[in-house]
Amino acid sequence: MKAIILILFAISLLNISISNRLRGFARLLTLQGFLLFVLAFIQLNEVTILNLVFVLLETLVFKTIVLPLFLDYVIKKNRITRETEPYVPYFVSLLIVTVIILASFIIVQQIEGLSGNTLFFIVALSTIFTGLYIIISRKKLITHLMGYVVVENGVFILSLAIGNEMPMMVNTGILIDLFIGVLVMGIFVNKIGDVFQEANNEYLSQIRD
Amino acid sequence: MHGLILILIVSLFFGGIVVKTKSICAGRKGPGIFQPLKDIWRLIRKGAVFSETATILTRIAPSIYFASVLLAVGCIPFGNVRGLLSFQGDFVFFAYALALGKFFMIIAALDTGSSFEGMGASREAHFSMLAEPAFFGVIGSLALYTGRTSFLDIFTYLHFGNYLSYALGSVMLIILVILTLIENSRMPVDDPNTHLELTMIHEVMVLDYSGFDLGLIQYTTNLKFAMYAALMANLFTGTLRALPDILIFLGTGFLLAVIVGGVESFTARLRMGRIPQFAFSLTSYALLLFLLVLFITGRFS
Repeated sequence: MKAIILILFAISLLNISISNRLRGFARLLTLQGFLLFVLAFIQLNEVTILNLVFVLLETLVFKTIVLPLFLDYVIKKNRITRETEPYVPYFVSLLIVTVIILASFIIVQQIEGLSGNTLFFIVALSTIFTGLYIIISRKKLITHLMGYVVVENGVFILSLAIGNEMPMMVNTGILIDLFIGVLVMGIFVNKIGDVFQEANNEYLSQIRD
Repeated sequence: MHGLILILIVSLFFGGIVVKTKSICAGRKGPGIFQPLKDIWRLIRKGAVFSETATILTRIAPSIYFASVLLAVGCIPFGNVRGLLSFQGDFVFFAYALALGKFFMIIAALDTGSSFEGMGASREAHFSMLAEPAFFGVIGSLALYTGRTSFLDIFTYLHFGNYLSYALGSVMLIILVILTLIENSRMPVDDPNTHLELTMIHEVMVLDYSGFDLGLIQYTTNLKFAMYAALMANLFTGTLRALPDILIFLGTGFLLAVIVGGVESFTARLRMGRIPQFAFSLTSYALLLFLLVLFITGRFS
């Protein structure tokens, strides 16, 4: 069951790499949040009940409902155009994400002593690298933020893999979530995309002293 | 033998059901369910006209296409009853028999000397190339899961009853349905009703055929659909007895036809530039499925 959810998570990564609308991207983040919720529910069976409820609430409420809706709201409010605007063609993105998944598969095979959590590490690594790839290959600030959310989901999976032994790691993952919240609020409060006509980092590269 | 007869029966109805579904979705009454079959029969009784630049390749290609699909159909078992040509490793033969037919259609399209057909041939080759690993991903995962290497053994030893097999079967079903749409050049990839040669894929390759050859090609398309439907049905039969098996076989064919008709009614075709990523994403899914089976069977822990 865990294996199937993790593979579904990897499939959502492939879909993220070819999604050409921001709203579709946000829907995929919703899906990822929900998969993380189910995964946490199955995996964390040795933590205290309070901790578990906190983690489940965080994944279900924050990751699945609030964050995607708020991203939609920011996109609408700041009048950000709906395309994701990558620097590279989608086909190349898909190819690269496939290679990332295969490479993390091979890398994790080289590590010894993972004690049966190999698939967690594979999916976590490939999620982190996919997030980084999304950040470097898309133009808009809002897509950088979404890429960061993907990276953070990867960190969360990694923390789930060892969550039963070290519950502190899961809390660390949640702290990064708070950081995401601050970043989204930053885009919202500063109305990037509304004040700047171009909401992408080409504008930022023109700044000089 | 049973499988062959059932596939032939499904192939007779397939085109009609697709057209009927499209008509009902569009709010029309539509032609009768046998109309496509009658059209094919009308074409088959006619003579053929060939281009002056065409060589013998153009003349033999439709027959080879039909024969290759018929060979591939022979490999498909019916539940746990042997197919006509079941042997160890027959899924590789299955894939490459289909590829042989496709190759001859492509080379014949280049052979006619039409300015459009080369374009269609190039696209057909490109998209098939991107989607072909998906088939091997799916069947390879099945082979790994059961530890057997022929269609018959795979579908016999694919024990259903635990949730894992059903989950695997469902995921494979989805991949196979999309693969069928790509292989047969149907809606999200190619529109069979389009009349603009620049955007056609499969249709433009058969522009120069007429009469008997055209009828044969159209029938082969139906046969190919029925063949994939049989492959899908086999994922869910095997341990049942004869009558439910037959019903599942015919029902899968019917459902596939309804799905194809529904997809053609409710979706727009993809832009030409987006088809490669659509086809390749299927291969990536199949790859992930293969990884999943690797973990389930405990090859890696």
